[in-house]
Amino acid sequence: MKHLKAINNKAQLLSQAVADDSVEEVVAMSSLAGCTATTDPGWEIDAFGGVTSLCQPMEADLYGCADPCWWPAQVPDMMNTYPDWNKDAMNSKEDWRNLGTVFPKDKN
Amino acid sequence: MKTTILKPFGGGLLALAVALATQSAQAASEAEKIIQDNCLACHSEQGESQWSRISHQRKTPEGWLMTIARMQVMHGLKISDEDRRTLVKYLADRQGLAPSETEGARYALERRLNTSESFDSQNFTEMCARCHSGARVMLQRRPASEWEHLVHFHLGQWPTTEFQALARDRDWLDLALNKMVPELAETLPMDSAAWEQWQQQAEAPVAGEWTLAGHMPGKGAFNARMSVTSAQGEDEYSLTLTGQYADGSALKGKGQAVVYTGYEWRANVEIDGQVMRQVFALKEGQLSGRMFLRDKDEVGADVVAARDAAGVSHILALQPAYIKAGSEADITIVGSGLSGLPVLGKGVDVIEVISESSSLIKVRARAAGDASGVMTPSVGSTEGGRFAVYDRIASVKVVPEFAVARVGGNGGSTPKVEARFEAEAWAAGADGKSGTADDYRIGMVPATWSVAPFDEVAEADRDVHFSGRMNSATGVFTPAAAGPNPERRMMTNNAGNLKVQATVQDGADTHSAEGQMIVTVQRWNNPPIP
Repeated sequence: MKHLKAINNKAQLLSQAVADDSVEEVVAMSSLAGCTATTDPGWEIDAFGGVTSLCQPMEADLYGCADPCWWPAQVPDMMNTYPDWNKDAMNSKEDWRNLGTVFPKDKN
Repeated sequence: MKTTILKPFGGGLLALAVALATQSAQAASEAEKIIQDNCLACHSEQGESQWSRISHQRKTPEGWLMTIARMQVMHGLKISDEDRRTLVKYLADRQGLAPSETEGARYALERRLNTSESFDSQNFTEMCARCHSGARVMLQRRPASEWEHLVHFHLGQWPTTEFQALARDRDWLDLALNKMVPELAETLPMDSAAWEQWQQQAEAPVAGEWTLAGHMPGKGAFNARMSVTSAQGEDEYSLTLTGQYADGSALKGKGQAVVYTGYEWRANVEIDGQVMRQVFALKEGQLSGRMFLRDKDEVGADVVAARDAAGVSHILALQPAYIKAGSEADITIVGSGLSGLPVLGKGVDVIEVISESSSLIKVRARAAGDASGVMTPSVGSTEGGRFAVYDRIASVKVVPEFAVARVGGNGGSTPKVEARFEAEAWAAGADGKSGTADDYRIGMVPATWSVAPFDEVAEADRDVHFSGRMNSATGVFTPAAAGPNPERRMMTNNAGNLKVQATVQDGADTHSAEGQMIVTVQRWNNPPIP
């Protein structure tokens, strides 16, 4: 980090965390069963145990991340497993209501 | 699961054993035919009732369900729900986990999704538990060759695995193949003494009359009787549930259960038009686990149950499980086979037995002004349960300390995921000092609830305003609507980072406690094991 200068809030937050040696601490705190915090950024929780460093609104760049399998345990990856996940929601900002969950449940 | 089943129906045991053995053999042959007809395009036969990949793994029922679901999603398997259920049963019985092999990871089966995971192995945490729960792995057993296949599968299916944090900074594949595979094969092996021994165990009886004791955050304690009768299929049962919550409301339902692997009780019970799922483990005549709304699994209860059996009695719970020194209260002892004098503990007098049956004894109790500590009550010669007597509350904790709620609804396909909090009161113990080794837990007490911004960012973003509402009386937080919110900066979602504040009144004393809640986005990939 010696040759890099933080110029926005997120970068300053990161520099501060590195300076405080608190990155590992917050990652450990966020290890909730089934949530991913360390996929840079996480899906539910960021590495600081908050939500401000996440990709939100999640609709903004959802497919840019779902396509390259960024959170495959939380979001259907469209590269290999669920290529048609967004077929009824091409515009995620407008059509997010058409997205569904993907586990093939028993009908009974 | 085994062919030598004896169930206690009185006469005709031999005929029954033969009939059940036949039923079991029929189920196995039916399952094997489903495998023959559906799986052999990819899997190869390796001798009688042995197939490549399939025969070299052991899993829970949910684990096998996820495996077959993956075959449907990724490999185009077409299978009916009925055939899938038959296969899950066959595989979980034949290649399941021994009860001891699921210990420490049952929270995932029981859908306790606010469990904070921690593992001794840093490699395991960083390589496996960073994307999905560590429990998903801990609930499987494989030889090294199968763990190795799993590594290759991950990289083939999700090629960016190597580009993510905690992967791109190291030789991920080398670590996965040469460190993780041996570690997993050693700690989670296909062959184990526990599984060998479990397969030799006689099957425990399930049909009969049960008493349940439970506690549901946001609602309170309940008790019920559950009547279980054998149904048509192998290890299948019908059940009826009749009981009541401590607030007097009824708990009534009926449903079906299946016992997998000789001890994994799974039932769907329809209660007030909603299906509740029971995920229990059967051990030494008792069931324990969690019962939750199938389609809203954050709403659930911890449950213990005991089966009526001649000459056997259990105390399952006391409701409420505490009394204040110098006060009187009605206390219900919940159990099975209860008979004899109820004794709550030193310094606590039973001044009246209000009602009694073999499963419920309701008493009026009075605790002396100087009574204190955790008691083990008894009824006749049976001891059990836990009863706390306290003079004053010394401290309060918010449970869970950290929780996740998720936005939902608003026309989308995923419902809101609530967060439910309780206030756990503690006494200071003999030394009168809070935070020392002799502190003891009193129990869950009523509290007044509120939320506040967790930090400056949450305050600036008005998370309290946008992310949902806390019910001040019940501790149930209902998150806000899903979707981009044009009223928020950058149209962000109604996510938030909140302090959860509980205020508990104990006479003239006021105690407060804090937890943290993340309100976050939907989970779109939601298999039974997170």
